[in-house]
Amino acid sequence: MAMPARASAARKDAVAPGENDGAAGDVRERAMEGALVACGELGYRETSVRAILEQSGGHRAQFYKHFQSKEDCFARAYATWIERLCVSLLEAAATAPGWEAGVREAIVRLFQFVTARPAIGRALFVEVQIAGEPALARHDAVVERLAAAVDSARAEIDPAEAPPEATGAFVVGGVESCVAEALGAGDPDRLWDALPELMHFAAGSYFGKEAAEAAFERAGEMLERERARLTGVER
Amino acid sequence: MTELRLIGGAAVAEPAVVEAPPVRLPPGRHGIPADIVRAHQRQRLLEAAAAALDEQGYGRLTAARVTELAGVSSRTFYQHFEDLWACLLAAYEVEAGHLCGEIESSCAALSDDDARARARAGIAAALGFLAEEPAVARLLSAEPPPQIAALAAARRDLVERLSAMLRDALAAAGPTPLPGLERRLVAAALALVSARAADGDPERLRALEPELTELLLASL
Repeated sequence: MAMPARASAARKDAVAPGENDGAAGDVRERAMEGALVACGELGYRETSVRAILEQSGGHRAQFYKHFQSKEDCFARAYATWIERLCVSLLEAAATAPGWEAGVREAIVRLFQFVTARPAIGRALFVEVQIAGEPALARHDAVVERLAAAVDSARAEIDPAEAPPEATGAFVVGGVESCVAEALGAGDPDRLWDALPELMHFAAGSYFGKEAAEAAFERAGEMLERERARLTGVER
Repeated sequence: MTELRLIGGAAVAEPAVVEAPPVRLPPGRHGIPADIVRAHQRQRLLEAAAAALDEQGYGRLTAARVTELAGVSSRTFYQHFEDLWACLLAAYEVEAGHLCGEIESSCAALSDDDARARARAGIAAALGFLAEEPAVARLLSAEPPPQIAALAAARRDLVERLSAMLRDALAAAGPTPLPGLERRLVAAALALVSARAADGDPERLRALEPELTELLLASL
């Protein structure tokens, strides 16, 4: 599984206790991954339990032992995978030196994930909007956590010039819409070229035009220098 | 939202603006011209499409629920629209036009030189319109299924139109620093609006105005 390396460490925490042990846990885990892949490839509305089982293997009886329905399976799969991804992004940010590098590293890790697993990316960033509740409530909670992390920028800003309260959610929403757009269009690889623009957008939202331009330049230089390492593809 | 008033069975010569929810025409022979009846049915279906989406979300939305909310038969629905998505697309395009019209008229009276005042007025008008019509706010701001290509394209068109408006509003303040940045800002604003619209309190949507103005102008 091509999850970011740090995310896999969080996986056990993300699965309900007692449900990740042995063969039953494997069946459950495979069905959840199958549900996300099927929804990402076919669309949420077009996905059936049969389509999930075609992805994951296993029998209907096993599926219904763990899940009440497609809707239930998607909601649980979404909660599990978005939690892992969220932890991974927060870790990427936390290990980088400073706010700007932290945001950039988190975006890089997000891009690496969705380009490695585009079907799952589509399920997490596009189809969740179609699925609605309860996955959408989980989505909103994750946006809130990421927004709070992005909001650490305030520590570097004079309180008299503090940006609006909604800035964190605005920045996360902007990054998310960029990812959803590329995945919806079936072209996640184009995301890499959007990295400097997203850094301009994120830094500008907190620190204004000059900081935005500097963040844009630095992201562009990083991309130029390290594209092969970041994307895993030689230019 | 405009609506034909056709209560009481009398023939109505011209549309009237009312605030009430869609109503059914009186059954049986009523002497109302066929084109008026048809326009009224279509209007009810468009309003019902937004209401059904608000209620069911994209995942569970059905044409049956739209016809039920509109108070028309399934046959009538398919006389107007090929399928559910054609109806939703029509609703989207009409409401996107209303939203852009509200923004344009709010800016029309202001001087071209005061970019910030124009932007502020446009944002306030947009949020005011969406707060008045929570179902429309969700229709316009939520991401539609990408598999429904025409609907996804209609949303992209709206983002483009709003981005062009933001660019024009700010033109007097000088060129924007990055081509395409307005688009990113508008998409982020729609994500905020979508989250606020989903929590069901129109006043919270309206209250976004000062923050959204500041955020949209911060890096420009």
